[in-house]
Amino acid sequence: MTETTAPIDAATAPTSGRSERLPTRIYLYVSLILVTALVIIPLVMTALGGFKTLGELRGNPFGLPTEWQWSNYGNILFSQRYWLQMGNSLLIAALTVFLTLAFSAMAAFTFAHVKFFGSGFLLNYFLIGLMFPAATAILPLFIRIRDLGLLDTYWGVVLPQVAFGLGMSILLFRNFFRNLPSELFDAAFVDGAGYLRFFWSITLPLSRPIIATVGIISFVGSWNSYILPLIMLNSESKYPWPLGIMVYRGEFSTDWQLILAFITLTILPTVVVFFAAQKHIIAGLTAGAVK
Amino acid sequence: MSQTSSVAASPPSMRAPSVARRNRKRQVRGTLPVLVLFLPPALLLFTVFVILPMGEAAWYSFYNWNGYGLPTQWIGTKNYELIFNNAAFRQALINNGLIIIVSILVQIPLALWLATMVTHKIKGAVLFRLLFFLPYVLADVAAGMIWRFVYDGQFGLVAGIFNTLGMEAPFWLADKQAAMPALLGVIVWKYFGFHMMLFVAGLQSIDKSVLEAADIDGATGWQKFFRVTLPLLGSTVRLSVFFGVVGSLQLFDMIMPLTGGGPSNATQTMVTFLYSFGVMRMQVGFGSAVGVVLFIICVTLAFGYKRIFMKND
Amino acid sequence: MAGLELKNIAKSYGAVSVIENINLSVADGEFVALVGPSGCGKSTILRMVAGLEDITDGEIVIGERIVNDLTPRERNIAMVFQSYALYPHMTVYKNMAFNLELSGKSKAEIDQRVHQAARMLELEPLLERKPSQLSGGQRQRVAMGRAVVRDPAVFLFDEPLSNLDAKLRVQMRGEIKALHKKVGVTSIYVTHDQVEAMTLSDRVVVLNHGVIQQEGSPMELYRRPANLFVAGFIGSPAMNFFDAVIEGGEARTAEGLRFPFTASDGAQDGRKVVVGIRPEHFQAGGTGHSGAVTFVEPTGGQTFVTLDLGGHPTMVLVSGEEDIDTGATLSVSAPLGRTYVFDAQTGRRISQN
Repeated sequence: MTETTAPIDAATAPTSGRSERLPTRIYLYVSLILVTALVIIPLVMTALGGFKTLGELRGNPFGLPTEWQWSNYGNILFSQRYWLQMGNSLLIAALTVFLTLAFSAMAAFTFAHVKFFGSGFLLNYFLIGLMFPAATAILPLFIRIRDLGLLDTYWGVVLPQVAFGLGMSILLFRNFFRNLPSELFDAAFVDGAGYLRFFWSITLPLSRPIIATVGIISFVGSWNSYILPLIMLNSESKYPWPLGIMVYRGEFSTDWQLILAFITLTILPTVVVFFAAQKHIIAGLTAGAVK
Repeated sequence: MSQTSSVAASPPSMRAPSVARRNRKRQVRGTLPVLVLFLPPALLLFTVFVILPMGEAAWYSFYNWNGYGLPTQWIGTKNYELIFNNAAFRQALINNGLIIIVSILVQIPLALWLATMVTHKIKGAVLFRLLFFLPYVLADVAAGMIWRFVYDGQFGLVAGIFNTLGMEAPFWLADKQAAMPALLGVIVWKYFGFHMMLFVAGLQSIDKSVLEAADIDGATGWQKFFRVTLPLLGSTVRLSVFFGVVGSLQLFDMIMPLTGGGPSNATQTMVTFLYSFGVMRMQVGFGSAVGVVLFIICVTLAFGYKRIFMKND
Repeated sequence: MAGLELKNIAKSYGAVSVIENINLSVADGEFVALVGPSGCGKSTILRMVAGLEDITDGEIVIGERIVNDLTPRERNIAMVFQSYALYPHMTVYKNMAFNLELSGKSKAEIDQRVHQAARMLELEPLLERKPSQLSGGQRQRVAMGRAVVRDPAVFLFDEPLSNLDAKLRVQMRGEIKALHKKVGVTSIYVTHDQVEAMTLSDRVVVLNHGVIQQEGSPMELYRRPANLFVAGFIGSPAMNFFDAVIEGGEARTAEGLRFPFTASDGAQDGRKVVVGIRPEHFQAGGTGHSGAVTFVEPTGGQTFVTLDLGGHPTMVLVSGEEDIDTGATLSVSAPLGRTYVFDAQTGRRISQN
């Protein structure tokens, strides 16, 4: 599972081959539209539900709102908590991405280029991280973070997140680095470059695709993460949005119209960014899979 | 070596010392700085936050400890006995197994079926792929919350359907029998797009001329699929199963907003069990033991699966 | 500028020896080609000279300095790679300037030297382009420009033309030769193509299995191959070989073909030998050997004819003026001075030519 495969290119439509016959096309479209309905109805109804009153949620579950309750959304958008939570998530994700990229690119570079005693062992050591989720060690992790005085700080979330992402990131970076033509390394070496120079002037500028991939994986992971912040953060002012949703739901327990509006607004950035950069995101998120 | 060598080799005794003197690594400037600067950050972080906690979990698992002070109350393997005698944990194991079975029997066939459809030459194929992948991008917590609404017996969509039909709406998530199937539905909804995308990639990597050769050989659509396409997708199927298994073992975020493991532990997974019984009650020893069990299962599956099914990939 | 000397160079990976006791000296300004089949160790030798590969034993001297322990930069060499190894994210200018920047040259000097090299290789209009915007030949020239710009003591070429198509290869061969005339830097050129080696270089070194088989001027190798390997490797189409035994001062094959030759040593009866005759050295007519024509390949000026000489397919080169058909019988003879005889065991030439 160490060879790299071409990234999954989901945005390219099949072009070769004959067009399908009419019966086939009808069958395809009917099936696909049915599945699409199952996929997006919960999402659309969530967004629409946020415009309804609680009574209408019950009386008119599937129709458009008779009277659009803009205030459900407005109140959230004008509330501090929404923006604070988004900001917290963004900050945690940014720190996570930056540290993951820096640490894993550097470590992967040594594994890809420098021969040193124990390099094979060390690489496998990092790959242990691929085998189990952070949840397995969550209690000792909590105690460690507490003893380091990082409880209820962003770092208490960021550092374990980075650490658990290192295995995959190092593997992806290393495979990419090794697939750069080795003659480039020879040429740079003949030109008088040392490792540091080669890393900075040749490797990194050529690594944009893999930087994007690893960046996307770690950003999405951090943006959506729940269990680490749940355990490491206590103050609501530091909560990222997935925790925020849970708190919000706890507060407004059956006021579903408000909860739906809140959910819609919290996933909106994800949906917008996904459609804006779908090609990169799909390639990135599946790159880890095809390792 | 060549029999036509015109140069006599010098005797080994003369060569040995100089070999020892010069047999050294190729010299590149900055080898030491690279080792000293590049490796330690990752190494330190990984050791402190991944390896050590896992080792500590193994250590703590033999104690009764609430996390304060030092673990002193050694209780041997008592925690492990407690775990396996715990009905909720057994339920969690069953549920994890159930999720894996559904992933293999429902999710993967569905994903494969959709993948073959969205790789046909039809208008909108790319849009369908994007829409199917969308749930995978959403946070598990958000997906869980959305489906909590869908399943809600008072205000949700399911309630709406039942009310429209003039029936009394059920509260599936509060029903011991219905909660797990409802949860499985959400899991399929959330993850099939990811598996579909793996299959799309697999299908795209199949050489078109192989399928054309099958056409020329007179294979029908079904024959082509079962005798040519599917065998060529073997490694993708194995990969997909692997991710289904790994995903099942980690499942937590989505369950919390949906059921929190309830009702009466009907929807516990190993991680939610660890959270409810270890973290919430600050039973560090017990929770660590659950972590160790989970770790052993993960590692065994990862190694076993790689050895048995993926050795050719 | 400087000469280059390899003294007893050896390379082994553990117990596996890939290069054995190579001794070679290259004079200042000389153009030497290392040629041999793939896996013969020629590229390894080049990379050892460059400092990209450590050497197990021996010494490499550039100018007066032993450079074994020096980095490539300190050795003051330049290298043109098979894949060119241009930095894909840098412009042509940056590619050529990279080395100079690393050695801390001033902006003005870098600019002046890059432009000078670019002028020499007609790269000036391309300086702001990226490698991906260049044709194969242009990339090749940039790779050479990158080497020229630093004014090195030695040029190393690692099969630089093998990625080009046939026509471009001939053209670039000419450009390399012209470049060497202009700058006169000591050059080592590695190739598996004996035609390239012979046309380009002052001296050709033939390698096989990590051992130098023979070195000399192109025509020396052609005229006086030291052993079977060189005889078979140099010359196109390849030399015809016949297994034979010496009897009464001449070599006889089992089928009864007789090849008289001038022996230089030890032509005692019963010695097993291999007779070699180049296709172009057979003369039509005469009383030598005759056989049926089994295959005719006209190329225009010359025609390659395959004869069945006593059951042995033999290639003969005849003028394109003659019309020869399959099935016809052709008589050929081999001149005494052009009949090479090699010891079957050691491969060494024992004929006096």
